[in-house]
Amino acid sequence: MSESVIILMIGVSTFLGALGLIGLLWAVKSGQFDDESKFIDATRYDNEEDLRDAVMMDEKKRARKEKKEREYSPPD
Amino acid sequence: MNQVPCTHCNLEFPKNVMIIEQDNDKELFFCCKGCEGVYHLLNDQGLNSFYDKLGENKLQPASINSDDLEKFDLEGFEKKYITTTDDGLSQVNLIIEGIHCSACVWLNEKVLHQTDGVIETSINYTNNKAKVIWDKDEIKLSGIIEIIRSIGYNAYPYDPRLQEDRAIKTRKNYYSRILVAVFGAMNIMWLAVAHYAGYFGGMEQSFKNIISVAQFVLATPVLFYSGWIFFRGAYYGYKNNIVNMDTLVASGAMSAYIYSIYAMITQRGEVYFDSVVMIITFVLVGKYLEVLSKKSAVDTLDTLMGSTPTEVTIVKDGIKSIVSTENIIIDDIIELKSGEKVVIDGEVIWGEGSFDESSLSGESEPIYKKSSDTILSGSICLDSIIHYKATKDASNSMLNSIVNLLEESITKKPKIEQLANSISGYFSTTILVIAILTFAGWYFGFGSFEEALIVAISVIVIACPCALGLATPMATLVGIGISAKRGILFKEASFLETMAKSDILAIDKTGTLTEGKPSVVGVEIFEGFDHSLLYALVDTSNHPISKGIKEYIISNYDDISTMELENIKSIEAKGLSASYQDKNILAGNAQLLQSSGIEVDSNSDNSLLFLAIDNKLVASFELKDTLRDGAKEAIRDIKALGIRVVMLTGDHKQSADSIAKEVGIDEVYSKMLPQDKSNKIDQFHTEGHIVVMAGDGINDAIALSRADIAIAMGGGADIAIEVSDIVLLDEKPKSIYESYILSRRTYQAVKENLAFSLLYNMVAVPLAVMGFVNPLIAALSMSLSSLVVVGNSIRIKQIKFKG
Repeated sequence: MSESVIILMIGVSTFLGALGLIGLLWAVKSGQFDDESKFIDATRYDNEEDLRDAVMMDEKKRARKEKKEREYSPPD
Repeated sequence: MNQVPCTHCNLEFPKNVMIIEQDNDKELFFCCKGCEGVYHLLNDQGLNSFYDKLGENKLQPASINSDDLEKFDLEGFEKKYITTTDDGLSQVNLIIEGIHCSACVWLNEKVLHQTDGVIETSINYTNNKAKVIWDKDEIKLSGIIEIIRSIGYNAYPYDPRLQEDRAIKTRKNYYSRILVAVFGAMNIMWLAVAHYAGYFGGMEQSFKNIISVAQFVLATPVLFYSGWIFFRGAYYGYKNNIVNMDTLVASGAMSAYIYSIYAMITQRGEVYFDSVVMIITFVLVGKYLEVLSKKSAVDTLDTLMGSTPTEVTIVKDGIKSIVSTENIIIDDIIELKSGEKVVIDGEVIWGEGSFDESSLSGESEPIYKKSSDTILSGSICLDSIIHYKATKDASNSMLNSIVNLLEESITKKPKIEQLANSISGYFSTTILVIAILTFAGWYFGFGSFEEALIVAISVIVIACPCALGLATPMATLVGIGISAKRGILFKEASFLETMAKSDILAIDKTGTLTEGKPSVVGVEIFEGFDHSLLYALVDTSNHPISKGIKEYIISNYDDISTMELENIKSIEAKGLSASYQDKNILAGNAQLLQSSGIEVDSNSDNSLLFLAIDNKLVASFELKDTLRDGAKEAIRDIKALGIRVVMLTGDHKQSADSIAKEVGIDEVYSKMLPQDKSNKIDQFHTEGHIVVMAGDGINDAIALSRADIAIAMGGGADIAIEVSDIVLLDEKPKSIYESYILSRRTYQAVKENLAFSLLYNMVAVPLAVMGFVNPLIAALSMSLSSLVVVGNSIRIKQIKFKG
């Protein structure tokens, strides 16, 4: 077994692990672990209806944005 | 009578008192109008799948109240709680009351989502706090709160900038640091396995170098990113001239790291990157657990502030107007309605009524105030309309200063951090001194700087991790485990050590030494007494005396029949009157009966309640706040340990003295306001004492947070529990004694453990000083001392308690 094989093995596996770590750090930063009970409780009610709800909220946001843009008049 | 559950809230009630409805072939039962309303509302909106999700969980019955909605749209309120997002939307943080299970969270989220104008909502499943973003052109905040109320919950805003933002930031910070540490530790472990296998089995230097470099790469971020907290702690310790646990962890890890880099580059000796990472990871996880317990304190403080009014009604030239509390100036006349909380201190100029001052004095009995009496913010006006003159502005008033003090003490707990781990401090100082002496000896003895440095560092490396990593935590872990089994919750391990060293116990009276509610101790019954009549009367009042009488009747009579009383009147600070089938009933204190011409003997130390029917005395009851079980014995035993016991109470001198005499406390301070109590604690500190404070109410909270160790009763006010270090679940004064015994025993075990570690180190360290250190000796001394430390700590379990 040569040195380069060992280097490659350690390097690749550490790199893959680091990718996972970066993913986790990003999740912490974006607030996905702020609510620990949500992991267990919210998934119990996860269904199609909730998906529709989320879409509805998105549409609401978009509708408001469009309305704002229509109302917007550039300062003269 | 058979009980049926309410279709909405699931609470069980007798069938005949329920509202029964026929829905197709199903029968629906409701306990109240509120529940019925919510059920139909949910049904109409197609949200009845809520009840499947709710399952067997029970809710609070829905109540209907909507009279104070307009206050949410006032300007002062808006300025305080509502923020505007970048794209012009309004945002508010709400605390939602009445949430019992995850189905409730689901329902609230769902209903808010369906509301027009609400752009975004997220409700936290853990602490029931919600963030709502909405378009203020479409809906007002009062509209949102009305919707939450319409489905049977209540909501009020809070200001997250006070505490929450900071707490979440700390938690996220720790999460990230731990993730990096654990990642590094796990990867270094499998590299270390190869490394050790190579040490014992023989490995070519070139492979060894590869593994060393890989370990170095992994250890570096762990030491400098995850371990940053310890470097910071060590720096603050250095500035204050204290050698603390952080100094040790930082210097141990750092020196092992430097030594390992040296070994890696010169290819001589062994690398210790794995121990660097292990120390950091374990101690960091322990620290994080402590951060978690502090987090919830923040939630309660928000509740306290959120229920405080932001506007008051002022009367000027006969015109009433609503003014934001910040704009109140001294000498403004303020009107107070019944049920309102006082936010500004002042002096009564018109009207009289009872005030609940329990959050200030701890006494549950209402206090009667008339013209020219002072009223303090934080108290609640119970029964009448009062005009009073402001004597202070909002920021200087009692309530505000209490909240400010609490906020301060939650974010920084100066005393404890200084006291903890002082033994470890001595130990580490000794090791550091030995290391320096070794360096000097080798340098001057053999003249080689390089050799001297390696040997000196190896002294620190071999001494540090094993002894300090385990000696203290292991003993305190066992100590905390035993106390938890006995209903004594220590929130942090280091409190055991501080408690063991304390020499003063300051104790609150009401609720801590006593039950905090009066109970009947003497009864005299004359002709014509009817217990059902008295029961019906006292049932209409919330006064603690009434409650005490009610409890007495329930436990002494079986056949209580329901009676419909008429003309029930509550006479301020005196008693109750009512009529029943042309009979005149009067229940109250001696003054009340004397005023209607009945002669009674009012000579007693205790509270008295007389019952008269048609101006004839039929019964008298003597009530007293009784001592908690075993209070006397507990105080005696605590005193026997050589601890000075002091009573601090908001009650008046007479009753404080009589209780103190009964339990055997010689030093009593009575009529103390919350600040007085905390000043007293500070005074003890300046005298050089280590103070333990036991209390239960909001009025004790500041003093509790000032004390070195705070003990709260499990049934006390939330805020008191949150600022405390020890919580007594069984509320027995005896548990205070037990926590003393336990902490002393644990502290002793810590000392023994450190002595043992020292002994082992006395074998290992000289070897290191002489330059014979190799991994074999290190591993041997580490595991041997660890075994002894674990074994000795388990011995704490044999502790015996009196009685």
